[in-house]
Amino acid sequence: MQEETVQPQPEPKSLEALLAEAQAKIEQQRDSMMRAVADAENARKRAQAEATNAQKYALERFAEGLLPVVDSLEAAVKSADTSGVELTLKQLKGALEKSSVREIDPKPGERFDPYRHQAMAAVPSEAEPNTIVAVMQKGYALHDRVLRPALVSVAKALEKAAENPTSSTDSN
Amino acid sequence: MAKIIGIDLGTTNSCVAIMEGGKPKVIENSEGARTTPSVVAYTDDGEILVGAPAKRQAVTNAKNTVYAVKRLIGRRFEDKETQKDIKLMPFKIVRADNGDAWVEVRGKKIAPQQVSAEVLRKMKKTAEDYLGEEVKEAVITVPAYFNDSQRQATKDAGRIAGLDVKRIINEPTAAALAFGLDKQMKKDAKIAVYDLGGGTFDISIIEIADVEGEKQFEVLSTNGDTFLGGEDFDQRLIDYIVTEFKKEQGVDLAKDVLALQRLKEAAEKAKIELSSSQQTEVNLPYITADQSGPKHLNMKITRAKFESLVDELIERTIEPCRIAIKDAGVSAKDIQDVILVGGQTRMPKVIDKVREFFGKEPRKDVNPDEAVAIGAAIQAGVLKGDVKDVLLLDVTPLSLGIETLGGVMTKLIQKNTTIPTKATQIFSTADDNQTAVTIHVLQGERDMASGNKSLGQFNLTDIPPSPRGMPQIEVTFDIDANGILHVSAKDKATGKENKIKIQASSGLNEAEIQRMVKDAEAHAEEDRKTLELVNARNQAEALVHSVRKSVKDYGDKLDAGEKEKIETAIKDAEGVLKSEDKAEIDAKAQALAQAAQTLGQKMYAEQQAQAQAQQGGAQQSAEGESGKKDENVVDAEFTEVKDKKTGS
Repeated sequence: MQEETVQPQPEPKSLEALLAEAQAKIEQQRDSMMRAVADAENARKRAQAEATNAQKYALERFAEGLLPVVDSLEAAVKSADTSGVELTLKQLKGALEKSSVREIDPKPGERFDPYRHQAMAAVPSEAEPNTIVAVMQKGYALHDRVLRPALVSVAKALEKAAENPTSSTDSN
Repeated sequence: MAKIIGIDLGTTNSCVAIMEGGKPKVIENSEGARTTPSVVAYTDDGEILVGAPAKRQAVTNAKNTVYAVKRLIGRRFEDKETQKDIKLMPFKIVRADNGDAWVEVRGKKIAPQQVSAEVLRKMKKTAEDYLGEEVKEAVITVPAYFNDSQRQATKDAGRIAGLDVKRIINEPTAAALAFGLDKQMKKDAKIAVYDLGGGTFDISIIEIADVEGEKQFEVLSTNGDTFLGGEDFDQRLIDYIVTEFKKEQGVDLAKDVLALQRLKEAAEKAKIELSSSQQTEVNLPYITADQSGPKHLNMKITRAKFESLVDELIERTIEPCRIAIKDAGVSAKDIQDVILVGGQTRMPKVIDKVREFFGKEPRKDVNPDEAVAIGAAIQAGVLKGDVKDVLLLDVTPLSLGIETLGGVMTKLIQKNTTIPTKATQIFSTADDNQTAVTIHVLQGERDMASGNKSLGQFNLTDIPPSPRGMPQIEVTFDIDANGILHVSAKDKATGKENKIKIQASSGLNEAEIQRMVKDAEAHAEEDRKTLELVNARNQAEALVHSVRKSVKDYGDKLDAGEKEKIETAIKDAEGVLKSEDKAEIDAKAQALAQAAQTLGQKMYAEQQAQAQAQQGGAQQSAEGESGKKDENVVDAEFTEVKDKKTGS
């Protein structure tokens, strides 16, 4: 479509010619618009397929890090000697750390944080209310996302008479 | 353009979805979950927690942690349901000045609308974080049995959360939309929506009517049980494990909060697992300890066992179904479709029971946890005009490509690609001095050309004679908006081009397309083998070709014994080219490659010598171009250029 741009004295075109020209232009624009939309749609499909694939293999490196731990545990079970278990645990923690899985292990006296901790019991205590009395089970976070909150017991003010600690987590 | 979001405001969990690129999408909240617990907590330092964090602190703050407020919204304090809740809930339910049921937290009376607004605000924020822009409008779902005041209250909750609620729709209607039932039903149809969620069970019979081209949904009847859901299923399993463990080990796990928590998580996982496998194992080492030392919990649970534990729960859903059908004035056989909503409907036994009762296969092709939110998003899209006005673009139902060396189908356009689209790939020749190629256009999913449908073919001739793999032939597939396929082939050296136009669809109907897709799946293994065989053959052939050429050029540098050995290997390899045994071909090709190694060394030494004597000039560039030997069109003897590089 490299037409000459300089046209000396253009002949006045007939209406039909103008219409045909305009229609051709519309058709051409419509086609390029459709192609752009289709391209976007295909890009979306590709991105989705890629994301699915990425999800599928995201575990790869993590899983690889766990294999030596399995080896060690198997050896421990076979040898009936548990002296290496501690080392194996270290291996496992290393593998978790490498994949950015970090412990949530609050110290007693720290403030209870429902974004990272789960209260299993409220115990009457001398300690400041709403602080952690004990950690029952550590929690874990992957980057900034909590995989599992730390299970803790939380201090509550010593009221009139010491009530029984509530121990239900049933919230539904 | 701001979006309208769709929110499933549930009794136990809530979920938010939007329309994106014409498709509904459920959005993950900041904790990475696709559903958010409908729990709101008011802490002593004035903070308001919503969702999982609220749930986690419930034990320390039971009186100020509000859940299942959906049971109260829009109700009077005197209502029977309210009175029932007062007995069950750990938080305080009070009578507001206007006679409504409100809750009291931290000494302040607040309306259920305000509590629900906190959940809605969180859902709004979830959508905003994903979209990166403010959201102002929403479609919210409510149970079909909600009356006007409950609906209005839900709408007000939205207003409080800063959302203009464009529409309140019924949950079963939303589910039907998510399943696309409004489009699939040709004429008026009655459908059943069986919704077994986390804490509630609802059955609705709805009618989809076509009123002047527009689909209308009418709820004919509803029934259910507001205290029956997936959590009861979990509890049954937990109770069973606790009892068994006590029998075996003599320790009551129910008394140990930590053990119980671990068991709760494990039981839910086991329940989910048993929906897809026949047996699972609950394995919790060091679950507890007594004087004798640590105790481990290791229990096998079969699907049959679990089914027997919850059979009575499933049975309890059937009576409401019976009543709903009766109330709708229909019989089970009048129901065209049954759809399953709520996570617990993933359980095979539930599906069986529903199938048995309604006498037809229930639909479960939409994620049951998300169907209602998805339906709300679809409704939002309709309101926005997103859904109605999308440019309807077709997709190619089957892959398109050409036949290449060895009868292989090389795909240029994958199936389900949105059209109009264009794809280009460079191919080359398979023989020395090949002057023409045949472009054989194919449609289908099979790896081998013969298994696919032929759409047409044409030749590109007058390719200047040159060694195999040298010519660059650019093949372009272009499907325009009307579905017409244009295939062109162009010799990049000469610019000579030939093309073909293939009319849309080429007469394949939906059934044929399905058959071809199925066919490809069925033959995938067989095709893969053939493909490997062809590849092995092609590689061996290319090797024979290149070694033979080298022998011709450098043979005089070899002693007779070496030459003899190589020529035998060439003959051997050629002898098995027609073989159907891939291993045999590979072995002979391997042997040939090994035999040719000495030749390679000789060639290398030669080249180095020549490089030193640079002025030798174009010593070997014009080899072989002795002219047109045969003008025969070699049928589809294509090799892909990029394959060629890795091939030999």
